[in-house]
Amino acid sequence: MSTNPLMQSAVSRRRMLQLLGIGAGTAALAACAPSAPAASGGAASAAATGGARTDFAFSSWSFTEEAAAPALEAIVKAYEDHADVTVNDVSFPYNEYINQLTLQVKGGQFTGAAHVDVAWLGSLAAMGKLQDLSALTEGRGYTDAALAAAQFDGVQYGLPWTIGAIGLVTNSALLEKVGVSGDAFPTTIDEFEKTLKDLKGLGGGLIPYAASTKAAQLKDILIWMETFGSPLVDGDTVTIGDDASVEAVTWYKSLYDQKLIAADVDRFDARSLFAQGRAAIYDDAPVGRGAVTEESPDKDLGSKLVPVSRPVLKAGDTPRALVWGGAIAVVDGEGAATAADFAQFATSDLDTVLADYEVRGLPPVTTEAQQSEVVSSDVFGSLFNERITATSSSNPFWAFTAYSQIETEIAEQVQAVLVGKTDPKTAMQQAGEAAQKLIG
Amino acid sequence: MSATTQLPATPTPSTPSSRVGGGTPRPPQRLRRGGLRSERPGVRIAAWATVIVCGGFGLLPVYWLLATSLTPRDQVFAYPPRFFPAAPTLDAFASLAANEQLFGYLRNSVIVSVITAVLSVLVSAYMGYSFSKFRYRGRRSLMYLVLASQMFPQALLLVTLYSVFSAYNLLNTYTALVLSFTTFTLPLCVWMLKGFFDTIPDELIEAARVDGASRLRIIHSIVLPLAAPGLIAAGLFAFVRGWNDFVFALTLAGPEKQTLPPGLVNTFIGEASTAWPELMAASLVVSLPVAIAFIALQKYLVGGLTAGAVKG
Repeated sequence: MSTNPLMQSAVSRRRMLQLLGIGAGTAALAACAPSAPAASGGAASAAATGGARTDFAFSSWSFTEEAAAPALEAIVKAYEDHADVTVNDVSFPYNEYINQLTLQVKGGQFTGAAHVDVAWLGSLAAMGKLQDLSALTEGRGYTDAALAAAQFDGVQYGLPWTIGAIGLVTNSALLEKVGVSGDAFPTTIDEFEKTLKDLKGLGGGLIPYAASTKAAQLKDILIWMETFGSPLVDGDTVTIGDDASVEAVTWYKSLYDQKLIAADVDRFDARSLFAQGRAAIYDDAPVGRGAVTEESPDKDLGSKLVPVSRPVLKAGDTPRALVWGGAIAVVDGEGAATAADFAQFATSDLDTVLADYEVRGLPPVTTEAQQSEVVSSDVFGSLFNERITATSSSNPFWAFTAYSQIETEIAEQVQAVLVGKTDPKTAMQQAGEAAQKLIG
Repeated sequence: MSATTQLPATPTPSTPSSRVGGGTPRPPQRLRRGGLRSERPGVRIAAWATVIVCGGFGLLPVYWLLATSLTPRDQVFAYPPRFFPAAPTLDAFASLAANEQLFGYLRNSVIVSVITAVLSVLVSAYMGYSFSKFRYRGRRSLMYLVLASQMFPQALLLVTLYSVFSAYNLLNTYTALVLSFTTFTLPLCVWMLKGFFDTIPDELIEAARVDGASRLRIIHSIVLPLAAPGLIAAGLFAFVRGWNDFVFALTLAGPEKQTLPPGLVNTFIGEASTAWPELMAASLVVSLPVAIAFIALQKYLVGGLTAGAVKG
């Protein structure tokens, strides 16, 4: 027996090749490990509501959120009392939610009702395990726009729950200081830029428009590209790189250079800046209202929040906004029929929806709920619906399972423009080519 | 090593004391030249400045953690930022104390991390000893095979482990977490301990054998006690790995066995906002056990990590 110092075990090139061989072998073994069952050919067409009700699981990222959890717990409790079943709640953090849900659904670990962002429906539907819930929409009063938001490829893969949009939210007190009040918010991009310059003139380090400039959130640029006239996608052909998208990025860059928008801002930063009174305008969905008012030292900020229509390129154009919202999808398997019944209950039972609205303040999806006193008396909610949600449209990239990578490719190119590494035309051409490759 | 950094106790013509004419022997001094005790002011100032900068680099985030935990939520992002909270409050800590679920996460973290540490040390001690002191066919291949598992992205292994644990109904159990954490800690622990065992002279083992000790007796009574610093270092490494893991715990543990990292994120980071004071307070509290363990065992940790790093 002799000692074998570690130094004698230096890795030679030959050893490295052996290691790589071992690595490849292990990778092959990993590939042979048990995998999830193959996805079924298509979503089941019948979401049964009759028959005996059974226990099921309901997943949502909101179960552990301080502000939203009471609303969800109340809904679950109401349904448990209504249907005499037990609902098992499952929760993952929002930022990890889609990955975890996908893994669980693919692995057959999760069946039942799942709270989903409407942007994810395409990716989840591709697994072939979501039920078609169209039979459950009849006679429940869902608005057409809400139903459309929870469809993918013409199939109702989710029942809409809280559908709104992402649009411009302003601090009316700051805007009044530059003479913009009430309904007088600029309607064209030129007027909008002039207002931003006026706001900049107020001094005090005010950021006129806390637009997204971090790569993680620069997908917001897509709605400005549409405003400038780019369709983004035409069928299966990516149009980014066209004149409109280049003009949009050129304009965004000019705002950046004039310091009318700030560097290194994402949605969370924008909310913080806005809450502290350091930004006059930012992009957000209705869900952001609670965050900015809670974080703000100005206890009256809630009354100063005014949603406005996004300015258009020329007078007469339709303001653009990006659909935002949540739906409840049903994953085929044990308890799915009762889960579908729950999804219908949670999204369209008037008392349940209104109680939910009072806690979370998120836009309901049935005509009856929208016209109710509780909802219509909420000035912010009503204005948001009227000025932003009414003209909103889905992100055309959501139709593709690689939408997230596509948005990242575009965002990285736009960021390169902002920091001066490349010019808008070259960047948008490269972004378009990269996006096209991902679509195939 | 100490002989090269100490001045001789007896003055000689070459020592500083003899040059200034002092005939009285000085006590041994360590690191006189260029160290913090240097008599040259410029060097001393530079040395202290370096210490302060490095200390600030390490401690400022901890201070910011504490300051944020004591700041009301509506002042966390106040502009301009305040170094000291204007209206310090313990609300975040009170909120933590009232949240029973967090204690469940804490319990799970302790269970999983301790078992991971014990299992990792147990297995890697025998593996490391075998690699260090025995010669057999396939030994080197086995050593590199152990190391090879570190070459794969964790995301790839996560999906594979998820499928395997699912097939054996191990999802949502402590077993799944412990096995997956141990998978990642073993390679480093084995190689670390192998290096440690390499420094134990074979003559010692031979002497024990001559005295009639069995192989197991040699391992348990001679080698492992000598390797205690290495075992502690390996155990701490494995403990911290289990304590800090996020993705595997989130994916494999399920709601009942959730550990602190995913539990804290799930509790305090929402779709639209983050409860920063509560999150910072919780981070501070949960880092205390690890910090205390490090302080208590740091001499073993340093010794264990550097063992085998110097040949000879």
